[in-house]
Amino acid sequence: MKKTPKQIEVNTGSMADIAFLLLIFFLVSTTILQHRGVSIKLPPDAKNQPIHQVHDRNLFKILINANNELLVEDKVWDDIAGLKKEVKAFIMNVNGDLNLSESPEDAIVSLKTSRGTNYKTFIAVLDELKAAYYEIYAERVNLTSKEFRSLDLDKIEQKEVYNRARRGVPMNISLAEPTI
Amino acid sequence: MKRAYNSIKVATVINTSSLPDIVFLMLFFFMVTAVIKEDTEHLDAKIPEAVSITKAQQKVLVKELIIGYPKDKLLGKEPRIYNGEKIVSINQIPQWVEQKRNELAEHHRDQMIVMIRADEEIEMGLISDIQQELRKMNARKILYKSKEETTSSSHLQ
Repeated sequence: MKKTPKQIEVNTGSMADIAFLLLIFFLVSTTILQHRGVSIKLPPDAKNQPIHQVHDRNLFKILINANNELLVEDKVWDDIAGLKKEVKAFIMNVNGDLNLSESPEDAIVSLKTSRGTNYKTFIAVLDELKAAYYEIYAERVNLTSKEFRSLDLDKIEQKEVYNRARRGVPMNISLAEPTI
Repeated sequence: MKRAYNSIKVATVINTSSLPDIVFLMLFFFMVTAVIKEDTEHLDAKIPEAVSITKAQQKVLVKELIIGYPKDKLLGKEPRIYNGEKIVSINQIPQWVEQKRNELAEHHRDQMIVMIRADEEIEMGLISDIQQELRKMNARKILYKSKEETTSSSHLQ
């Protein structure tokens, strides 16, 4: 091998700039996938399902028609935001009102839509119902609703708090099959 | 021997030759950890806003169905269902559930969560038809994908 008297140097000063450009591109273009939303559990298949008799006072009926108008407990309702308070009062029934639920365990909130109802309105109403339950749970363990929702169920202490909050107050939200 | 140190002027040069290495390391980290955004090009789905949002505890369990309006005019204007691979009809959903369930580990199969990413304007009739199919397949855990509400205004238009 011949020994070269002079070593050729490649200027790598701009390498950092190139790498930075690539880095910024990846930072901007990638979005972290998020699985967040309103959760619900559907009832089992309609076939071979026992029919339960539910006392009328234990049922909180919400109907949404194809024009996205609300009928709550047979009364026309025009403000979704006020629904949460009403649902909470119905579930807990602190004063033992005869028109409200017998106990939180018996309370069922029924949500029925029409086939023409907007998904957006449905989610907005469902969100209010969930919010009502979450607020009840959160109040029982002295947390805020947001703190309660972000409890990590993989941790034993947090799971215990979660169970304590939910004990005796099942989240009975019933989604009825829509009518035409 | 005594030297007058204060008289010597030294030009400080920071060695930046390892800077590209550091940046490349960061670049590789981001390239590896970033999940490439799933191909949803076929449908437009603007998800609704909600407050009482919960996060899925385990991401593996979540399987996504997208319901939206086609971007391609050849597909018409009717809402379609997209399962992450292709556009499906309602009666193909049981098959999709079965397939996705088999992808999961045995002890996870009954815990599958179906995430519904639907456009705000979709009518409940379609959503309900899908849910009937899911009920038949006993895939009953549903997550309606929604984003954190930014405004506290009333929902009714």
